[in-house]
Amino acid sequence: MLNESIVKEVLQAALSTGGDFAEIFVEDRHDNHISMIGEKIETSNAGRTYGAGIRIFNGNNSIYGYTNDTSRENLIKVAKEVATSIAGVDKNLGIDLVKKCTTVINPIKIMPNEVSKNQKIDWLKIAANEAKTYSKEITQVTGRYMDYVQNILVANSEGVYAEDQRVRTRLNVGAVASANGEMQTGGQDIGAHLGMEIYNDEALKAIGREAARVATTMAHAELCPSGKMSAVIDNGFGGVIFHEACGHGLEATSVAKGTSVYTGKLGQKIASDVVTAIDDGTIANGWGSFNVNDEGELPTKNVLLENGVLKSYMIDKLGARRMNMAQTGAGRRQSYQFAPTSRMTNTYIAAGESTHDEIIKNTEYGIYAKRMGGGSVNPATGDFNFAVLEGYIVKDGEIKEPVRGATLIGTGLEVIQKIDMVGNELAHGQGMCGSSSGSIPAWVGQPMVRVSEITVGGRK
Amino acid sequence: MEYQVFVDKLFELGKKEGFSDMEVYFQEDKNFQATVFNQEVDKFSISEVAGLSFRGLSNGKMGYAYTEILDDASIDMLVREAKANAAAIESEDKVDIAAPQTGYQTIDGYSQDLGLVSKADKIEFLKKVEEEAKSLDDRVKSLSYNLFMETEGEIRIANTKGMNLSEKQNLGIAYINVLAVSGEENKTGHALVLDRDFKAFDYKAVAKKAVEETVSQFGAKPVASKSYPVILKNECAGDLLGAFSSVFNAENVQKDLSLMKGKLAEAVASDLVNLIDNPFMDGGYGNRSFDAEGTPAKRTNLIEKGVLTSFLHNNKTALKDGIESTGNASKGSYKSSIGISASNLYIEPTKTTFDELIDLEEAMVITSLQGLHSGLNPISGDFSLAANGFLVENGKISRAVDQITVAGNLKDLLLNIEGVGNDLEFSLPSGSAYVASPSLRIKSLAIAGE
Repeated sequence: MLNESIVKEVLQAALSTGGDFAEIFVEDRHDNHISMIGEKIETSNAGRTYGAGIRIFNGNNSIYGYTNDTSRENLIKVAKEVATSIAGVDKNLGIDLVKKCTTVINPIKIMPNEVSKNQKIDWLKIAANEAKTYSKEITQVTGRYMDYVQNILVANSEGVYAEDQRVRTRLNVGAVASANGEMQTGGQDIGAHLGMEIYNDEALKAIGREAARVATTMAHAELCPSGKMSAVIDNGFGGVIFHEACGHGLEATSVAKGTSVYTGKLGQKIASDVVTAIDDGTIANGWGSFNVNDEGELPTKNVLLENGVLKSYMIDKLGARRMNMAQTGAGRRQSYQFAPTSRMTNTYIAAGESTHDEIIKNTEYGIYAKRMGGGSVNPATGDFNFAVLEGYIVKDGEIKEPVRGATLIGTGLEVIQKIDMVGNELAHGQGMCGSSSGSIPAWVGQPMVRVSEITVGGRK
Repeated sequence: MEYQVFVDKLFELGKKEGFSDMEVYFQEDKNFQATVFNQEVDKFSISEVAGLSFRGLSNGKMGYAYTEILDDASIDMLVREAKANAAAIESEDKVDIAAPQTGYQTIDGYSQDLGLVSKADKIEFLKKVEEEAKSLDDRVKSLSYNLFMETEGEIRIANTKGMNLSEKQNLGIAYINVLAVSGEENKTGHALVLDRDFKAFDYKAVAKKAVEETVSQFGAKPVASKSYPVILKNECAGDLLGAFSSVFNAENVQKDLSLMKGKLAEAVASDLVNLIDNPFMDGGYGNRSFDAEGTPAKRTNLIEKGVLTSFLHNNKTALKDGIESTGNASKGSYKSSIGISASNLYIEPTKTTFDELIDLEEAMVITSLQGLHSGLNPISGDFSLAANGFLVENGKISRAVDQITVAGNLKDLLLNIEGVGNDLEFSLPSGSAYVASPSLRIKSLAIAGE
C-alpha cells in the first residue's frame, strides 16, 4: 500500500522533534450498502475510503494527524506538522522495519466483489419476503445489506510492519407490526468477519421470520411493570449486559486515568463465582475478529474475569505505557480518521452449568429478556442502561405474558455480583460499539444468565 | 487531480455512459482537537480530509458512489458503481437533479478570527479549565474529558444543470466532563460550549457549570416507582426531541415508518407547543443557506399551537406529496445518499420561568437521560430511559435522584406538555441536526426506582 522506504521517511519526520514512538496507519477500504423499504430497493451506494493517520508518542502523551493525500510529500508534511506540538530534539532512534508474519485466522471463501449486486438484492428479498408473509399484521418491512473490504497497513518506529485484510458483511431485516392502532418493531441480522459464503436461503428466511415474530409478539404485549425484580437474560446479544456493565470499564482508556470504577481492582473478587468473562479477538471469523489489530499487534484471548476475580484489563499501546503493563492486542479504530485506543473485540461471559429450564424454573418473579437492544455506560460512575426489545414476565418458574418498553439499569459493580446463574449454551450477537476511536464491530455474547435483582424501568 | 478537472472528466465519462444528469457533492474538512489531562496535552490531533459524492440519473433512477481520492481510477469507479447502483433501484419514487435556484439567504457561519487564535491559547484554555474545576471543590478528582475542538468545513454542489454552490463554515467546541468522588460515590457532570468567537470560551464559567452539575448529585438515591409530574430540563428535553426527530421526516411518513402519518392538521401536542425548524436562527449552530440538494434553506413551522402543520421534505418527498421542498435534504457526509434532517429544530420558548415550572407539590426534575440510541423507539414512540435528576417537594428541589428510569410514549408526552419554559438551550449535537428546547413540564410520566 505504501512502500517501506516512504514509511521510514515518514516515521523519521514524525520523530524529528523528540517523540519516542511514531506510527503510520494506511487504509484502503471499499464499501457496499443497499437499503430496501417495502420490498423495493430504495438506495444503493458504494465507495472508497482511503487515507493515512500518523501518531506520535511523547512519553505518556499522544498526538495524531490524518489526511487522505498519501503522497510522500504530503505525508512527510503532515508528520512534521503533527510533530511541531512536541518541543524537543530528535532522539535519532534507528528504525528497522520487519514484516510481521501473521496467520490468517479469518479465512474468506467468496469475496464481496465475486458476487453480483443482483444476487445481494435477492438475498435481501428472500429475508424480507419471509418477514412480510409471516402475518397480516406486518405492515412494513425494511432491509439493509452491507459489505466491506478493508485493507490496512500499520508500521511503527519499533519496527512493526504489518498488513491485514478485513472482510465483513451484515444483512438485517426490520419488521413493523400494527395492531390496535399501535406500531411495534422487531429486527434480526446475520453478520461476521466472513465472505459471501455466510448467506443461504435457510439463514436468510430465519432472520426474516425472527424479525416478524418479535414485531407481532410486541404488538400484543402489555406495558412492562416497573421496579426491582429478577431478570433472566437470554443468550446471544444479551451479552450486551457484560459489555456495558463491565467491559467498557476494563478498557485502558478509562482505567489508566483512574476514571473507571474498576481501577486498582486487579486480583480482587469483583463478581460472583459463576462469572468468567473473556475478550477473544482470535475467534475464527468472529464479527469483532481480525488477523492483525490497528496497532500492528496480534489479537489475543484475554481472560478478564475468572470465577469472579478480575484478572486483566484490555490494553492498547498507549494504555500500556500509562499503566506500565503489557498491551493485550486491544488497539482498534474505526478508520484512519481515529487514533486507536483500547477496545473490545468479541467479549462474552463463558458458559456455565445451568440449563435454560433450570434457570426459568428457579425464578419466582421477574422479567425474561429474550432479546436485548443496545445500551450505554458511564465508566466513571459505572451507571449502565440497556433496552429490552422482547420481554416476558416470569412467575413461579414459568414464562408468562409478553411485555414491552422496558429498560434495565444498574451499576456495573453491583450487577456482576448479582449474576447468580449462568447457562450452558454460549451464543454471540453482532454489535457496533462506539467510543473515542469511533464505531467498530464487536461481538457481545453470553449463555443465558440470571441477575437476582435489577431495576426494571417499565411504564406500569 | 485538481477538483475542477476531476469534475469535468467525471461528467464527461458519465455522459458517455448514459447518465442524463449528474451531480457532485464535495466536502472538505479541517479539524483540530486537543485534550488536557493533569495539565498536560494528552491528545492532540490535526486533520485535513476531503470526499466527493457522485450521483446521477440513469434510466430515471438515481445511482450513488463516493471516493476520497480524486484520481483517474476513481472516475472509472464512480461511474461504474453509480451505474450499477442506479440499475439496482426499484423504488418508483420520482427523482431528479435540481436546476439552479434563486432566493438564497446568506448566513454568517464562518469566522476567520477563530482560526487566528493560536493552538497554544486553546490549550491554555483547557489547562485553566482543569485548574479552575479542581480549585472549585475538593471532591473534584479529575476531568475525564477536557476537550477543545475546532472544525472548518466547506461544501460544494455542482451539477450538469448548471448549479454551482459553495458554503464555508467553522465552529469551536469545548466539552468538559468532571469526575468528583466522595467516599464510595462517583459523580460526573459536563459543560459544553459551541461558538465561533473564542471570547465565548470562558474557562471560569465552563468549570463552574460542570462542577456545580457534578457535586449537586452527591447523596442521590432512587425514588419510589410511580407516576410523577416531570420537568425535563432544557438540554434533556432537546435530547429527547432530537432522538424522536425522525417522526417529522417525510420519507418515514410516506413509507409507513412514522407515528405522525396521517396527522397533518390534527392536534398532536398541547397548544403550548410551537415546533420550528429554522436555518437562520439567532445563535443557531445548524444555520445554512442551502440544503444538500442545493434548495434554498427556509424556516418551517412543524407544529403550531399543538397542530401538526408540516413535515420536513427534500425534493423527492415533496414531489411525491405535490408540494415544494422545505429545504431539508441532508447528507450525513459524502458517504451518504440524500436523506432528510432538520437544521435548527426547537420548541419556541415562552415567558414561564424554571421556578414556575417546578412549582408543584411533588415532581421530578430530569437533568440527564442515557440510552437515547437504544431505549427509545421512534416508530412506536415508546421510550424507557435511564435518568438522573432531582425530587421536587413543595415547589423546591429537595434532593438528588439517580438509578431511575423515565418511561412513556412520545404521542402522550407531546399532548401532556403543561408548561414550556423560557430557557431555550441547545443539547449536545448528535447526528446531523442541532436541536434546542426550553425546559418542559409533562403532566405525568412513569418513573421506576425502588
